[in-house]
Amino acid sequence: MQSCTYLIVGASHAGLAAADAIRMIDPASPLILASRDSHLPYSPTILPYVVSGRSKAERTALRSEAFFKEKSITFLRQAQLQSINAEKGLAHFDQGTSIRFDKLLLATGAAPSLPAIPGLGDVAFHVLRTMDDALGLKTAMKGARRALVLGAGLIGTHAAENMAEAGMTVSIVEPQMQLLPGYFDSQASSLIEKAFEGHGIDLKFGRSVASLKPGVAVLDDGQDVPFDLLLIATGVRPALSYLDGSGIRIDRGILVDERQRTNLPAVWAAGDCAQVRLFQSEGTGVAGILPMAVEQGRIAGQGMVDDEGQKPFPGAVSLNTYSFFGQQAISVGAGISGADSPGTETVLRFDEGAKTYLRLVLKEDRLVGAASVNHPLDPGILWQLILRQTDLSDVKERFLADPKTTGRLLMSRLWR
Amino acid sequence: MTALSKPGKVVVLDGNEAAAKGVALARPDVVAVYPITPQSSLVEHLSSLIASGELDAELMNVEGEHSVLSALQGAALAGARTYTATSGPGLAFMFEPYIRQPGLRLPMVASLVTRDTLTPQCVWGGHQDAMLVRECGWIHMYCETVQEILDSVIMGYKVAEHPEIMLPVNVNHDGNYLSFGVTRCEIPEQALVDDFLGPKNINWHAALDPERPMSVDPLTGNAGGAGPSMFVRYRKGQTEAMAHALDIIAEVHADWAARTGRHHAPLVEEYRLEGAEVALITLGSMTGAAKDCCDALRAGGRKVGVIKVKTYRPFPVAAMARALSQVKAVGVMDRSVSYGWNSGPMHQDTLSTLGKTGLRMPCLSFIGGLAGADITEAHFERAYDAVFKAASGDMPPGPLWVNEKD
Amino acid sequence: MGAFNSLTYNATICLGCGECMMACAKAKSGDADRFDQSRIKIVPAGDNKFEAALCRQCGDAKCVMNCPAGALTKNAASGVVDWNADLCVSCLLCTVGCAYGSITFESSVGHVAKCDTCGGDPACVKVCKSGALGYVTTASIYNDYGKQEDLFAPGLAACQGCNSELMIRHVLRRVGRNVVVAAPPGCIPGMGTVGYNGKAGAKVPIFHPLLTNTASMLAGLKRTYERQGRDVTALALAGDGGASDVGFQSLSGAAERGEHILFLCFDNEGYMNTGMQASSATSFGSWTSTTPVGDKLQGKRTDAKNLPMVMMMHNAAYVATASSVFMEDFYRKLDKALAASKQGFAYLHLYAPCPSGWRFPASLTIDVCRLMVESNFVTLWEYTPETGLVFTRPTDKPKPLESYLKAIGKYRHLAQEQVDRIKKLLEDRLAMLKRFVR
Ligand SMILES: Cc1cc2nc3c(=O)[nH]c(=O)nc-3n(C[C@H](O)[C@H](O)[C@H](O)COP(=O)(O)OP(=O)(O)OC[C@H]3O[C@@H](n4cnc5c(N)ncnc54)[C@H](O)[C@@H]3O)c2cc1C
Ligand code: SF4
Repeated sequence: MQSCTYLIVGASHAGLAAADAIRMIDPASPLILASRDSHLPYSPTILPYVVSGRSKAERTALRSEAFFKEKSITFLRQAQLQSINAEKGLAHFDQGTSIRFDKLLLATGAAPSLPAIPGLGDVAFHVLRTMDDALGLKTAMKGARRALVLGAGLIGTHAAENMAEAGMTVSIVEPQMQLLPGYFDSQASSLIEKAFEGHGIDLKFGRSVASLKPGVAVLDDGQDVPFDLLLIATGVRPALSYLDGSGIRIDRGILVDERQRTNLPAVWAAGDCAQVRLFQSEGTGVAGILPMAVEQGRIAGQGMVDDEGQKPFPGAVSLNTYSFFGQQAISVGAGISGADSPGTETVLRFDEGAKTYLRLVLKEDRLVGAASVNHPLDPGILWQLILRQTDLSDVKERFLADPKTTGRLLMSRLWR
Repeated sequence: MTALSKPGKVVVLDGNEAAAKGVALARPDVVAVYPITPQSSLVEHLSSLIASGELDAELMNVEGEHSVLSALQGAALAGARTYTATSGPGLAFMFEPYIRQPGLRLPMVASLVTRDTLTPQCVWGGHQDAMLVRECGWIHMYCETVQEILDSVIMGYKVAEHPEIMLPVNVNHDGNYLSFGVTRCEIPEQALVDDFLGPKNINWHAALDPERPMSVDPLTGNAGGAGPSMFVRYRKGQTEAMAHALDIIAEVHADWAARTGRHHAPLVEEYRLEGAEVALITLGSMTGAAKDCCDALRAGGRKVGVIKVKTYRPFPVAAMARALSQVKAVGVMDRSVSYGWNSGPMHQDTLSTLGKTGLRMPCLSFIGGLAGADITEAHFERAYDAVFKAASGDMPPGPLWVNEKD
Repeated sequence: MGAFNSLTYNATICLGCGECMMACAKAKSGDADRFDQSRIKIVPAGDNKFEAALCRQCGDAKCVMNCPAGALTKNAASGVVDWNADLCVSCLLCTVGCAYGSITFESSVGHVAKCDTCGGDPACVKVCKSGALGYVTTASIYNDYGKQEDLFAPGLAACQGCNSELMIRHVLRRVGRNVVVAAPPGCIPGMGTVGYNGKAGAKVPIFHPLLTNTASMLAGLKRTYERQGRDVTALALAGDGGASDVGFQSLSGAAERGEHILFLCFDNEGYMNTGMQASSATSFGSWTSTTPVGDKLQGKRTDAKNLPMVMMMHNAAYVATASSVFMEDFYRKLDKALAASKQGFAYLHLYAPCPSGWRFPASLTIDVCRLMVESNFVTLWEYTPETGLVFTRPTDKPKPLESYLKAIGKYRHLAQEQVDRIKKLLEDRLAMLKRFVR
């Protein structure tokens, strides 16, 4: 049986950030990085670009074999975690292999969650979470003309755009009344929607699929939408069946404290599989975005290697950048996707002709959220202003007039 | 003159120039100079020899005697044969590197053109300067004549660089009397000197050379650990070399005599001691007058002799004892004082020799020739008288100050 | 992982002229007027002050970690975070990672852009008139010289936080083995560089001169090697006591004669090795064990002798002052001094704050070094007979002197009049030095 000091399951952003953090302090102790995937580590975020052909599948690796060799990391592919016996320090994988570990990080991410639509079992459909999903979708697109996408979140819109660019006729069905609900308000979304419609994408808002038959979706308003290719992008959630019987507590994700520790002493969890504290609201949740997976992964790795530099996770902040048809949208923090909440102060600039939009939300002279379309911002700086709850009263006017430059000024000062 | 010896060119010059000529024949690599009375004409001669190309050496005109010797120590640690000369206050200023040179076991020759020391302010001859540094570990040789200066400077290198010695040598000549006294002098041929001295031997034991990296003079000593025993072994080796130098000095003088035909007593010269009842012990240029006086008194039938000390440090106890054993009473003519003993320093050395060898005889201390004063034949005659008186039981209580009533 | 060169920005002296942005825009787009193309952004901060957003080329760069495309990599050789246009998918996730606003997206540019240091020769720095922008190549120095052999024994017994030990190791790494080192009595041999009881402290020929004769011993040695036709560096690692007090005569003499020596003075303002007694280099007001503080006396009563200035007056081939916080400057000067010492006398004065003797925590040595320079307590300059005096760090806009004095225990007792006197002295001295600028 293989044994190791550090076992990391999941070889994406969270797992890799943890491995880096461990190797920063402990260059030698055995470290195994296991993934059920058969490819070198890649990011799920890159998959839409693999689908569109902008990224070549073989050039998406986040780490090379040489890297693992140099860092003395054993990279195990096609190893799907099945169960854990934390007390004995054993992780059991498919095909009967087991690994003995001193410390375990679960960084298994999330999986598409499928809606309960009658007939779903009878139709061929695609999801987009793994490289094989992307390659499968890409192959499927070759023979298809009409695509139907369920869900107008980031994955759905990305995929829809790529399929449209590939020359397909694309429809999106979204129960809410706009694209990217939760990230943008309807005004911001309208600019994005214009671009989608301009590229011939049919947006069906306020509707959902009632049932599916091969080649046809029936919407809740009775409309039939024919398709050659069906992509389901209605959300993700961690797939944690391997924890059954392990004693590790889960809710929507694996429950962790601010140092990414689970309820068991030698087990950590990070990234899309973990349920963490939220910075801007009470309670906990699954962050589900790449920058948070990186943060959590590093903190978990630091904890596993007893790095004194470890700082607790301050809580997840929503941070999204979104490129569509050569345009850019940014959504940072809270309070930007709906109506103003009491006590907040909002600045809104919208220019339909110029296709620009900016919304800044402050509370007690501190930044709460910012969203923009075609209006450059530095989301990394905005994130810091939110985390640090930087008092903007001295520069408020300037900040509201020019958040980009003023943000740079503030951070330049802060970092000196 | 033996068959081997070769006559040199005969010239007329003073002691300072003779020293400079001797230095040039010894071919030093580096000469550092700082002028001081009565040494100045020596370094002037040397500088002009280098200026004219007659001597191929690096001339360093440094800013004081302290740096003179320091520079030469640096040079020696890089393998250079070195030379300088100084006097009185210059020697005092040189003292810090001076006392270090023997410890570094760096061979060199330095002339002390002896001078009395301040205060009273004084620029004239005397042995006080050299006497103040007699216990520093340098070899001290005192010259009687201009010729002996030239010869001794050359011989000094052979002694200093002897692999069993490796110590610095002071070749001392009296300021004024010898430094400026002009006499006949034979200059040996360069080839003779080259052959006599052989290859340089300066820094085989301690070098500052990237090709032989080593620490020179790390901290050594303190209580405990390897320090104390290392230090003791070091010091012991140094004093043993000093003692052994007496043999080497004798050897070197014999070799020189064989090559040049000029015999200088290496340690102690016994002058007319056969049948002598009393003797006077002299040092340096005063010996000439002492010998003249001795000759005159002998002509008058008085049984007197002269014992000249050439090598003063290390002190030639055995040679002195042999000379002393031939007389019944002795007087020591010092050109300096030992404050602590209220007598001349060489007087103390003589008393020690007597004590050490078990000889017993009256031993008087004379102090004369301070600050350039002349010790004449008449002075020596009175000194002999006093020694005879002492031999018959009339010992003066303290030293006799020769020039007190001049 | 080695250290890397980096761009630096000093907001206190930036004029906000924007030349750097124009130079960057020109370098990156060919058009100097396209500020959007500049990868350095100078932003007004009000009151005629400015700040900058520019890439720090972070060691564990979050932009790199955030990139899903592998388009960003930390270049192990140059230290630059490289951006690969072929791999980039314009997702902007890198801009989420950067807290400095230094990898940014402008629609007019069409892709994210960040500073690439122009391949190690940044265009912006060259045009910066005020000196606010710098390209610190200290890292190359560390990398280059870190590889060179440390020619001192590993276990020197210097005090914790000793600046001098740090500096002598640097010096020998640069100077190499073809050297003879003079270490006159003081901290440097005291820490064991020459050795103890038969054990050596260095891998090169090294010796104890007297406190008084360092320069003259080296002079004789050097002349001998030159006579032998050998090029051996004669190097002094002296303290201020051995240079400006009792060793001054030989130093002055050697400088006057233009001896081919490289003389380094580590100025820790006194005899720190033997119990912190005052030297002529001890600064006014300093507590030392021989200038104590009591009812009658309040520290040293006279100003420090400014030895580098005195050495300049000897018209030596090269004279400079340096500090261990400005290693790049130091190495440049060391190179020059080394070269000058082949033809003449080269004197390098190194400010060497001493945690034990000056009474500040050992962990703050470098901070004290920095404050010392930045408050103009000392100034960094170099002199050659050809160029006259050139300041190598700006002396305008110094940090408050108090920030320096407060950091150091030996000034704790200073009364306001004493502080005022030091201020006046520093002003006068600066004015005097400025007169030597051609
Ligand atoms: C199409 C798409 C677009 C996206 N776009 C963005 C975006 O623009 N911005 C953004 O912030 N985020 C985006 N995301 C989300 C982002 O990719 C994730 O938040 C991030 O990848 C989470 O990283 P992770 O390491 O936690 O998990 P994942 O990236 O999900 O990695 C999980 C790893 O675990 C392995 N694994 C899973 N289960 C097992 C098991 N049982 N045994 C062994 N190995 C297992 C997987 O093979 C994989 O290696 C996108 C996601 C997708 C799918
Ligand atoms: S914009 Fe380009 S460089 Fe930046 S994260 Fe996305 S792919 Fe990487």
